Amino acid sequence: MHAVDSRPAPAPAPQATPPKTAKRVRSRSQRDSGVAWLLSLPTLLILIAMLGYPLYRMIVLSFQNMRLRELFSGATPPWAGVDQYTKALTDSVFWGVVGRTAGFTVVSVTLSVLAGLGIALLMRRVTRGVRMFMMIAMMFVWALPQLVAAQAFRWLTDSDFGVLNYVLTQLGLDYSTHSWFVNPWEGWAVITALVVWAGIPFLAISLSAGLTQVPKELLEAATVDGANPWQSLRNITLPILKPLLMIVTTLSVIWNFGLFTQNWALRDGHPEPVYQTLATYSYTQAFGRSIYSYGSAISVITVLLMFGVMVFYIRQMFKIGEVD
Amino acid sequence: MKRKIAVAAALAASLFGAAACGNSGSDEGATSANGTVDGKGKTIKVWLMVDAETSWKSVVEDASKRFTEATGAQVNVEYQQWANHLTKLDATLAGSDVPDVVELGNTEFSKYVFSGGFAELNKGDFENSGTWLSGLSGACESEGKTYCVPYYAGARVMIYRTDLFEKAGITEAPKTYADFLSAADKLQTGNAADKKFSAVYMPGQYWYAAMSWVKSTGGEIAKQDGGKWVGQLSTPQSQEGLQRWVDMVKKYSKADVTKNENEQAGIFSQGSGGIFYGNAWEQGVAEEVRKDPNDPNSALVPTKVKGKLAAAPLPEVPSFLGGSNLGVTAKSANKELAAQWVKYFTDSKSMEGLIKASALPNATALLDKAATDNPKIAPAALSAKNSWFPPNAEKWADVEKGNILQTMLTDILTGKKTVADGAKWADEQIAATLNEA
Amino acid sequence: MARHDDGVITVGRSRTGTFFANATGIVFGLIMIFPVYWVLNTAFKPDREVRSFTPTFWPHDFTLDNFKSALGEELFIPSMVNGLIITAMAVAAALVVGFLAALAIARFSFYGRKAIILVVLAVQLVPFLALLIPLFLMLQSVNLTNSLVGVALVYLVLLLPYTVWTLRGFISGIPRELDEAAMIDGCTRAQVFWRIILPLTGPGLVATSVYGFIQAWNEFIIINTLNDPKNQNLMAWLLYNQTERGTAWGPLMAGAIITSIPVVVFFLLIQRNIATGLTAGAVKG
Repeated sequence: MHAVDSRPAPAPAPQATPPKTAKRVRSRSQRDSGVAWLLSLPTLLILIAMLGYPLYRMIVLSFQNMRLRELFSGATPPWAGVDQYTKALTDSVFWGVVGRTAGFTVVSVTLSVLAGLGIALLMRRVTRGVRMFMMIAMMFVWALPQLVAAQAFRWLTDSDFGVLNYVLTQLGLDYSTHSWFVNPWEGWAVITALVVWAGIPFLAISLSAGLTQVPKELLEAATVDGANPWQSLRNITLPILKPLLMIVTTLSVIWNFGLFTQNWALRDGHPEPVYQTLATYSYTQAFGRSIYSYGSAISVITVLLMFGVMVFYIRQMFKIGEVD
Repeated sequence: MKRKIAVAAALAASLFGAAACGNSGSDEGATSANGTVDGKGKTIKVWLMVDAETSWKSVVEDASKRFTEATGAQVNVEYQQWANHLTKLDATLAGSDVPDVVELGNTEFSKYVFSGGFAELNKGDFENSGTWLSGLSGACESEGKTYCVPYYAGARVMIYRTDLFEKAGITEAPKTYADFLSAADKLQTGNAADKKFSAVYMPGQYWYAAMSWVKSTGGEIAKQDGGKWVGQLSTPQSQEGLQRWVDMVKKYSKADVTKNENEQAGIFSQGSGGIFYGNAWEQGVAEEVRKDPNDPNSALVPTKVKGKLAAAPLPEVPSFLGGSNLGVTAKSANKELAAQWVKYFTDSKSMEGLIKASALPNATALLDKAATDNPKIAPAALSAKNSWFPPNAEKWADVEKGNILQTMLTDILTGKKTVADGAKWADEQIAATLNEA
Repeated sequence: MARHDDGVITVGRSRTGTFFANATGIVFGLIMIFPVYWVLNTAFKPDREVRSFTPTFWPHDFTLDNFKSALGEELFIPSMVNGLIITAMAVAAALVVGFLAALAIARFSFYGRKAIILVVLAVQLVPFLALLIPLFLMLQSVNLTNSLVGVALVYLVLLLPYTVWTLRGFISGIPRELDEAAMIDGCTRAQVFWRIILPLTGPGLVATSVYGFIQAWNEFIIINTLNDPKNQNLMAWLLYNQTERGTAWGPLMAGAIITSIPVVVFFLLIQRNIATGLTAGAVKG
């Protein structure tokens, strides 16, 4: 297993860009530009047709009132102005969903990144065999499809036949037929556990690859100079790891903010109000209740809420030179 | 290649906003199911739910045969899964290649009737239409017009462990609600050693059951008042019923308060329950499992409770009447043929077949016959006579989708809300949902 | 004393420290793997052991019945075939289309290049579910709901930005001097492409298509919304495989294993390249 070796992993590090031959044949550049656009054209067309246009439709839809009747008849839905937005923004249920989604994102990302970092550091401390074992375990978890993982957790926490209740009961606690989703805090703990569990491999493995970028001479020198491990971590390792840490954190935020599969599957396809996130809420409004316009308005708001994070991510990518 | 071009062209068409063909065909008057239609060379597409395939496929085949003999048209039946079938239906009805006949649950129909999804039918053309079970046909009717035909019903009964009853010294099925409670008491004390034992196994989100209790004290879920829907769960009668249910569940049930009734028979078959409340057919599900759960033809394996179960109507508690209706889609190109097929599939002969397969027929006139012909469904047939159904509101399905009643029940059972607070909250939600523009 | 063990620093580290680190590592690994183990354990148990109030920690009566049951379920094999067809269509199209764009971004400097990069990066981040409503309406207006082609089209868009982005990385990893030397030797641009860039990007193409496969194979919300049960993939099957007794966990877990096998195998095969794709976004279980 390659990732077990600690040779610098190829990627999170900036791509080795060969020195640019700045004065390439200028006369070609005009034609080059044409060729380049031609090559990009199919991609751009597909993105416009299947992403740009739906995005536009979604925005239009959010200003209309599209229901089942319009869906069946094909008639143009009546214009509704900002009604859908007013409805969302004045609805305490909607704000509850926003708050819940944001709260979950903060907690789950913090936990996953800390755990990932901890495991990455731990992996540099353990002996080779143990490291191999940790890698294998994480690889399997990483490879497991999201839905399968969610079904597995649903089964583990089943109130009647789940092994979790059985084990806790054996430990002397009264957990027989305990339902994990009665108390929303417990339910969200299960969902968060699932998300963190599934997120650790990505974080730990990429951060551990990033740790190979930390010059060991520097750490050794620090130790010789009497720095304790905490000081080395804070003053040497973390600053070097920072750009990568930023990227993986941002990605985790984007992923976890869009939480759908886990709460959807754990609540058996009909999450109760306390288990709704923006993604499931919009989906339920549109496809469950056939209020397509309201669902669209919620989606638009979701994208807007994410916008800041996305801009940050892209700027970060440019900054660390992933984009030359 | 051709196909690819066609796809590209089609996509381009959608890009330029080519308005979908706007022929909804709703104002054509009622479709007749009588008279002769020459259907030679035509095929109608029928969507039935999977129950028909697993339990009474022969009835479907027989009706289709008679239909084909009469009209010359062929039938193509596709069986649908309950999970997510409405999303599929929405997608399909939005297009042009639609099924001609569609089965939906009785509580699901109103929304589609209102949205113009189904064609008007001529009620008189269908056998037994005078005594259709109102719990089924209610959803079919709108402003004096009929848009679907009742298909079959299911009523809920109490299913109980005869061996445990005997052990507890109970000799016959409870005749009154008080009897029922005292039986539960005896079961509870007699099986106190089993920590998982539920004298009455009742999952917390089993709202059909909870609402039956509400009905038992004269309560209501919602009613229409001057064109507006008003939630009725806060009325004293409704609260009394809710309280009665909550007290009973808290005292006798160890079931998960966040689960619904889907898996109750399977859990009950583990042997740690005395009574559960379910569809008549759930007795069989609790007593025997398919060796291969994915193969409806595989051998049946007895469970721990095999031969130890019996069913009876739950005394003084009206049953929720579940079931299905059949409609002819508004976009169908063969409405008359479709209506004819529905006529054959819901006539007395087909209903006899359903009775044999332990489903309840679609009309009160046939219920007594059902009870005598098939003792297995006698308790359910009795139950069906004292039954109720959810408010016939166009947006009722949204109340179910919104988990409103389920959430209220869980909140009350966990003590998060009192019965009064929970009912008040649910009333607000129900009114908001049903009256939404 | 400093000792180098695969570049790991061990300066001033005590034996007890290592012991505790190892113990923590092992406990962590066990916790991570347990849910995966439990899936396997459940899949090989007979129903009476699965549905038991006293779970068994390994199958006492080892059985393959659950696998037989899942495979025998009416829609299982069709779902598998559908998934393969859709995935193949989407991945092949994404590879061809994406490669061209990647080539443009990696090898040409032209006006608008930055803008294209920006678009490619940005669209990866758009929550795709948000677009499901208009996509559904668009596809149904051209009768492409409930069709494999419609879903493949959506998946193509899902995979494309990522494909472009990763391939760009692989192509710019090939030294430009190679191109230039070849061109000095009289090769045309096209020949450079066929003889140098394409062969050298081979491993990248493989890795990218495998990522694409995993992405498309694991998707279930879109396909489940657009298509009816006969035209779904295995993930959607997993979500909605219910019997009259509710969830049959044994066969479901067996189905989950069968569904996961290609993903896990592919994933492990290309994990060498995973680091490459890490920060590019789209590769999360």
